[in-house]
Amino acid sequence: MSVDRREFLKIGGIAAAGSVAGSLLPAVTGLAALDAGGNVSRASGDHQWGMVIDVDKCTKGCDACADACRTENNVPLFGDPKRDIHWIRTITVKQRGVEDAEERQFPAMCYHCENPPCQHVCPVAATFTRADGIVLIDKHRCIGCRYCMVACPYKARSFVSQHVAHTWDDNKDVPRRMHGVVEKCTLCVHRIDKGEEPACVVACREKGGDAMSFGDLNDPASAVAAAVRSGKATRIRADLGTNPRVFYLGL
Amino acid sequence: MIKITFTKVEGRSGAYWLLLALSGAVASLAPLSALYMFLNGHMVSNMTNQVPWGLPIVMAVYLIGASAGSLVMSATSSVFGKVEYKPFSRMAALMAFLLIVAALMAIIMDWGRPDRLMVPFFHIQPRSMFSLNAFLYSSYMALGLVYLWAMFHNMKKLERTLGLMAVGLAVLVHSGTGAIFGFVYVRELYNSPLLPPSFIAAALSSGTALMIVAVYLTFKAAGRHLDERLLHQLGNLMGVFILVVLYFLFIENVTRAYAPKNYEAVGFLLLHGGQVTNLFWFGLVGMGLVIPAALVFNPLTGRSMLFIQLAAWMQLAGVLIERYIIVMPAQLMPLEFFPDKEIASVFNDGVYATYTPSLPELGYAVGLCGVVVFCFTLAVKLWPMLPTEARHLHPVEEAQVAVEEDGEIAGRVIRVPGA
Repeated sequence: MSVDRREFLKIGGIAAAGSVAGSLLPAVTGLAALDAGGNVSRASGDHQWGMVIDVDKCTKGCDACADACRTENNVPLFGDPKRDIHWIRTITVKQRGVEDAEERQFPAMCYHCENPPCQHVCPVAATFTRADGIVLIDKHRCIGCRYCMVACPYKARSFVSQHVAHTWDDNKDVPRRMHGVVEKCTLCVHRIDKGEEPACVVACREKGGDAMSFGDLNDPASAVAAAVRSGKATRIRADLGTNPRVFYLGL
Repeated sequence: MIKITFTKVEGRSGAYWLLLALSGAVASLAPLSALYMFLNGHMVSNMTNQVPWGLPIVMAVYLIGASAGSLVMSATSSVFGKVEYKPFSRMAALMAFLLIVAALMAIIMDWGRPDRLMVPFFHIQPRSMFSLNAFLYSSYMALGLVYLWAMFHNMKKLERTLGLMAVGLAVLVHSGTGAIFGFVYVRELYNSPLLPPSFIAAALSSGTALMIVAVYLTFKAAGRHLDERLLHQLGNLMGVFILVVLYFLFIENVTRAYAPKNYEAVGFLLLHGGQVTNLFWFGLVGMGLVIPAALVFNPLTGRSMLFIQLAAWMQLAGVLIERYIIVMPAQLMPLEFFPDKEIASVFNDGVYATYTPSLPELGYAVGLCGVVVFCFTLAVKLWPMLPTEARHLHPVEEAQVAVEEDGEIAGRVIRVPGA
């Protein structure tokens, strides 16, 4: 069971077509989805996608995951640190108030929470969770109110605060960027639905320290399920009860 | 029998047209700034990925509060039997309506996609305060209009019922506004069950202050007689509301400061936050609360129109700062991944942010105030909003008040129980 990202947006388009002032685009793609007929498929709850990041393996100074993400998802850098869009970024961490504290590094991203605060506060339900646990944003429905950015404990979301030019080099497998809406990591849902791993995980294995592993938390044989079973995996701000689907080892 | 006669203002003087033209020019800043921001994106604002909300949201919260406060002031005569405030009831209801319209303008024009105006009415998320508020705000606006209409037609019973509903809805509306922030559990400076009630208290104090200013200026400009003792009373009322605001502020921050995990957040707000701390102590506590309360409660200044006006203006500015203090500092603080560790990244993790409104944001905020003044000035000429005079009533006189419109007695006599 797999859902093509574009097919998925078409399903969303049917719902959005009911809105009076929704832009015309979803309505048009909604009709296209009707044409697609039996080709429409939905995500399955049989899988629960998750990730484990081994902080001990994360190479200091390496940015391979973030670079791969920018290429895969056409995430631009405007050269304005306050408005740059980040779907994944590396964070350095050290003990506070200690001299010569060791600095460690790990990637931070959207954790696709089981109880996503962003989804709870979204006034138009533009943020939704797929049956397989991936938290996504319907950019054709988002009104750009930015309540989700205020509510997210992980700063996982970015606002597209300007028009972004599209180029021929853009990856055509991902939807085009839209100004005035909020966006974030999709866990490379378009790759997952083709049976591939997220771009950051592949890049980390090939160019980095092989610190990231992706898999099905429901599959006992998967590396992520094994890591969670070991009891050594932790989640960031577990005290909040958001239950991220991305775990860390060695934090 | 006391007759209250509501008439239109003539509005033929040069000063009237000048005010209309000036406020109209200022009002045009709002749509112009909004258009500019929509066409260029939010990059022309100083709202960023770390500080997603700025002055437009501060203004929205401020205007909603003032609206809720004004509506309660309007309903005091019909719902709570304070007959001496009847002369202000129409202009207070008008003000409440205009303020909620301006607040909605602030919210919608702040969106990245104001073109998706109707989407919140078709896609509902019951857990989102924004989603619930879309319905609260719009029904509140509609009710305000019907309430005004009932007042114009002197339908006493309907006015009373609608007034009661409007007060209830005003409380819900502003509680809902406080809950937008109070429910955000990850930010220590937002998360608080006291925000909804303290929002109501600030709404009442700023609503009263707005009435003091608006009544005084409007009566003076229209050349109508105003018994100053009415404003002495309103001043005292404002003072009481200010004490409630102070109480909530005290309890909230003491509770917060008690927990060691909040030392950093409370320190940022109250001790070493620079501009934030200065605004809190000097802007809010000093100028906005303590001095106005002292002015209205002191017998020497509390009977002086000059000082009452001064106190009201200070309180109005103070509550604007209060809204700023609620909306902004929580966003300026970095989010803690690990409370005992330092983090850093290219995305400004672990770093305190700064925020100063950009020119379009300022134009937008000032423009919204212009919208309110412009529409108010126009409305008092178009409809009989103002009484010919506002008198301070003795208890015996309160027993008999009738509303008259343009020289014609249109309402029944209001009987006050026990008089």
